[in-house]
Amino acid sequence: MKKTTLILALVFAGSALFAQKKTTTSATVNFDATTNLDALPKAENKTVVAALNTKTGAIAFEAIVKSFSFANPMMQEHFNSDKWLDSDKFPTSTFKGKITNLSTVDFSKDGTYPAEVAGDLMIHGITKPASAKGSVIVNGKAISATADFTIKLAEYGITSKAIEGGKVTKEPKITVAVDFK
Amino acid sequence: MNIKRKRIIFTSVFILIVLSAVTIWYIFTVKFEDINDQKPDYSIKALDLIKEFTKSDSLANKKYAEKIVAVTGVVTEIEPADSTINIKLGDTITGSYVIFAFQKQHLKEATAIKKGDSISIKGSCSGGAYSEILETEFITFKRCALIK
Repeated sequence: MKKTTLILALVFAGSALFAQKKTTTSATVNFDATTNLDALPKAENKTVVAALNTKTGAIAFEAIVKSFSFANPMMQEHFNSDKWLDSDKFPTSTFKGKITNLSTVDFSKDGTYPAEVAGDLMIHGITKPASAKGSVIVNGKAISATADFTIKLAEYGITSKAIEGGKVTKEPKITVAVDFK
Repeated sequence: MNIKRKRIIFTSVFILIVLSAVTIWYIFTVKFEDINDQKPDYSIKALDLIKEFTKSDSLANKKYAEKIVAVTGVVTEIEPADSTINIKLGDTITGSYVIFAFQKQHLKEATAIKKGDSISIKGSCSGGAYSEILETEFITFKRCALIK
């Protein structure tokens, strides 16, 4: 009897933990480094892995750098080259952080909640603190989120003549959209 | 320098400038061609591709990344991706998967695909990695189309 109770307790505890962790393998991250001089340096990655723990507010992303899809082949080649993201050497980018205003987000109640996220962003093998503002939408069991922020390319060791010449912005805008399961 | 020679030099320089301008214009405005117009470099079953990446993703990345690959398998999941959907062919035992984001002009094809369908998809392989979040191998594709 005691054994059965223990097993049941473990099963419920396990399912509760599982319910707290929401994931998706189709988060979308847009990269926009366009300027008035050049509208080409922008890309979209629709196969980003993301996870959210609704109890702790922990949030994480993993992106394969070569998954960023550009309209222009030359721009995509430059983006992945050793002068830019060097995706052969650094094939993934990651973010690990937390929702810092978790107390104001009620995952059990439908609604749109402003959210602030802070954590560590790893690009080009360099990890720097990053933060973003966005919103969390709760609709039944479905949770979706959006956020945007800018990064300073120089902080991640990315410099080039195109940046200095104003064809690529020094601070690209990153936009994130996630539908968690 | 006689007039004829001057004219030849002027014409040559002019042609060179025009050709350079056209080349630069082409490089900066050309878009990726329709994936249906590209022949695959490799054709492989989804589970075999996952096995190759699981064995050594660095070797598999060198072989497949940025190559056009046709992949065959059973649809294990259809997942919303912003306003579109992605198709997944996965290994139901390990949880490892191959995921396909469709090319803009082929997005409608993805909406007709159902879980459990046996399909072939062609696209540009972006490579694979081990996911610390999911603790599985994942391989991603961009600019995909359904092979009919």
